[in-house]
Amino acid sequence: MSKDNQSITKKQFMKELWRFKNGSISRRQFLGVTGLGVATSVLAGAMPALIPRKAWSASDIGDRVVLATWPNYHDPANFEKFTEVTGAHVQVNVFGSNEEMLAKLQAGGSGWDVFVPTNYTITTYVGEDLIEPLELSKIPNYAAEAFDPRFSDAGSVDGTVYAVPKNWGTTGYVVNNKHTDGRKLTSWKDFWDISMNEFTGRTMVHDYQLTTIGNALKYFGYSFNSVDPAELADAEKLLLEVKPHLFAINSDYQPPLRNGDAWMSMCWTGDGKQLNTDIPEMEYVLGVEGGEIWSDYFAVPRGAEHPDAGYALIDFMLDPAVNAKEVLAHGYPVADSRTNDLLPKELLEDPILYPAQELLDALEFGAAATLTDPNRAELLARFKAA
Amino acid sequence: MRLYAIAIYLFLYSPIAIIVLFSFNAGRHASDFTGLSVKWYGKVLSNPFAMEALTTSLTVALASAIFASVFGTMAALGLQKVKGRVRVVYDAAIYVAIMIPGIVIGIATLIALVTAFKFLNPALQEFWPSWLGNVPKLNMGYTSLIGAHTMFTMALVIVIVRSRAAGMDRALIEASADLYATPWGTFWQITFPQIFPAILAGFLLSFTFSFDDFIIAFFVAGTETTLPIYVFSSIRRGVTPEINAIGTMVLLTSLALLVAAQFLLRYRDRQSSKINS
Amino acid sequence: MKSSLVHRLLLLPATMWLLVMLVLPLLVVIIFSFGDRGPAGGYVPGFSLDQYANLPARFTAFKNTMILAPAGTLAALLIAYPLAYYLAVKANPNIKTVLLVMIIVPFWTSILIRTYAWIYILGGQGIPKMLEFFGVEGVRLINTPYSVLIGIIYGYLPLMVFPIYVSLEKLDKRLLEASQDLGASPIRTFRNVTLPLSIPGIATGCMLVFILLMGEFLIPALLGGGKVFFIGNALVDLFLQSRNWAYGSAVATTLVIVMLLTVSIYMKLMMRGSNIREEVSLL
Repeated sequence: MSKDNQSITKKQFMKELWRFKNGSISRRQFLGVTGLGVATSVLAGAMPALIPRKAWSASDIGDRVVLATWPNYHDPANFEKFTEVTGAHVQVNVFGSNEEMLAKLQAGGSGWDVFVPTNYTITTYVGEDLIEPLELSKIPNYAAEAFDPRFSDAGSVDGTVYAVPKNWGTTGYVVNNKHTDGRKLTSWKDFWDISMNEFTGRTMVHDYQLTTIGNALKYFGYSFNSVDPAELADAEKLLLEVKPHLFAINSDYQPPLRNGDAWMSMCWTGDGKQLNTDIPEMEYVLGVEGGEIWSDYFAVPRGAEHPDAGYALIDFMLDPAVNAKEVLAHGYPVADSRTNDLLPKELLEDPILYPAQELLDALEFGAAATLTDPNRAELLARFKAA
Repeated sequence: MRLYAIAIYLFLYSPIAIIVLFSFNAGRHASDFTGLSVKWYGKVLSNPFAMEALTTSLTVALASAIFASVFGTMAALGLQKVKGRVRVVYDAAIYVAIMIPGIVIGIATLIALVTAFKFLNPALQEFWPSWLGNVPKLNMGYTSLIGAHTMFTMALVIVIVRSRAAGMDRALIEASADLYATPWGTFWQITFPQIFPAILAGFLLSFTFSFDDFIIAFFVAGTETTLPIYVFSSIRRGVTPEINAIGTMVLLTSLALLVAAQFLLRYRDRQSSKINS
Repeated sequence: MKSSLVHRLLLLPATMWLLVMLVLPLLVVIIFSFGDRGPAGGYVPGFSLDQYANLPARFTAFKNTMILAPAGTLAALLIAYPLAYYLAVKANPNIKTVLLVMIIVPFWTSILIRTYAWIYILGGQGIPKMLEFFGVEGVRLINTPYSVLIGIIYGYLPLMVFPIYVSLEKLDKRLLEASQDLGASPIRTFRNVTLPLSIPGIATGCMLVFILLMGEFLIPALLGGGKVFFIGNALVDLFLQSRNWAYGSAVATTLVIVMLLTVSIYMKLMMRGSNIREEVSLL
């Protein structure tokens, strides 16, 4: 997964060249995307200690930074390390959906310095003027050319970089095979069917319209991003039918899965990896029908109170050595070749992090329209209120 | 009957036992109890966010309890002489203020202030005289928190103080006036001592409400973090014994204050009985 | 004349406060409830009844609230009454104060933390595991209406115990003795003497608990697993997830109206039912 993503086809090269000529991407990005900058990045990646200038240790950034992120998405030891190096404590606020983050920012005064939006939401944040363009000079550890563009493109809107990549991953489900009587689940159809039968009262779905509705749409083979009223109506019917059989609607599903209350849950890559590592019967499944592939980003909200500390935190997290430790703790792949160079081979070949190509091919990135579509928002609310 | 009471007390204290027990857990998660340790107490005390949340909560609770008891008492006394339509409207407003669910107060305050700020901030930007320095930016925070909490608790104080004032001995006040005391003197010498217990009760109730309120603060706190909000976001991140340590410390502090107050009262009683004899 | 001016001045701060923090926000909610959702969420001005027409989409949440709020109130009453009776009539006077204080002590630590402790107790590792030990298998409590009900009873018990205790405390114990001396059975004494005298306490306690339950959000959110939905949860969702301020305002307005109506009817009934007019108050 890691290295061959750097290569680029002729057609793509021409496209990028055009974009460069039109001025929609910077020279730096052009070099990065087309792979011409790989040499530098490999060099830098191989020797993380040599990366020059650490903004966060040079200046006084205050004693705190507030981060809005997702459940089980960091290595707590890295935050402690950050505090040790910079003197700034990290407050972590955890969210279960992009809608929740957006709502908090729209209502004003989130108090965050850094947040972690998903690829498809960034254009909306830009449109609503809720996000700052990044001052890349304050993030020296961000080397655009080291990142696989598939997972870093969405951070730029109209040539301005608003967000730098954190991790990417997939949305599948985790199932505790202890309870399946040897049956192998492979599809979203399996997921929803078994929830209503053998697994009644044992399944969890996200409190998140994108994935819960998207994966219900997959049951019928529709697009994960569909906003078609008739298709949404089918999904709603399925969801309402399943609801009485669910254990919970919650995006923080690890605790009940670990203590045995729940047997199966919609699941993101890293949670799947973490659960599988601790409890080998827990299997991470990507539905054969498809589902979501995503990339998360670090971004700075408008009016952040401690922007310097925010930048320092982003920069710290993008240090390949730190990032590698993060990956080892949370089990989400990164698009940064420098970090991947530091990771053990087994992890880079792990089928949970890097699923088989035919499974990946069926996945879709979330679409901006899906975030703001009022019908999908209302559908999830009706499902929960039912 | 007695068994029943014991069962209820068990019911009341089983979660408390869990909280206290897990606050001494050496492990990270509630699911693995790996031994006894007090390290989480140290962690909380050195965590600036937990400490700041505590300070914010104390500040907000104290401020809204003071505003509520001062303005609430003033209003309760003022209302004594107000009759007719004004009185009816006022009573209705107090009734609504107490009755309305906290969640509605939170939401209403949030959208009203966000909308108001949307108009006010550009206006300030426009008209702010430059010699006054930087243009201030209105935002949710301490003011909205104290404002919303005081609104509710002030209504409580009005109700409590008013019922006490209604049972007050009017003859004393009239006597005082007959003796040519100033109204101000009458207030301090006669009225205030009589309604003081009600004011104190209102103050304590207001403080407790504000200190423990989550739902209103959840909407109107803006960039501030109160203790309940801190606890809520920590819980979402996966409960560590740190949260249990906070709970245990708050509990112990309240208990200590209660015991201290008991001692103080007893001491005063003894002193006054000595004087009397 | 002068005195009236003083009284008006006394009222001034409270009046201003209520205007800015109560009347104004409620007006905004009412105005917003006739508007529309913005394209990315929030609010755009408008005038229509669309949001109200959409209210049936939250019918279940209203229904759950209207079932679980009275059920929770009733359950709390049934559990609180014997305890209040014990404390007021039977308990050893020497330790009565201690027993009373012990009812409030658990409530000095955050409701969030206490409710979270219940997740553990009601979850698979808690009571169900204990029951398994006794041979009762397959009991599920967490994320069901039962766990929400338990959380409600736990959270609101003191609010019910105290008013009932106060009214039973005032009860003249000689009345009970007289009733017994006259040959009345304990049940009859209770029905004819104790119960009628404690009605003011019951009425106050029920009203307090009911009012708070109508706007409850936390207990169903934490103990209901996102499945047991109150109108409070619907409101939080509308503002903090789907960002539909207009519809959220319509739901909030409806909740307030339903509530004011229910409580007024309840108070009317209570006042007609007995002459306890001045004693049924919020506090």
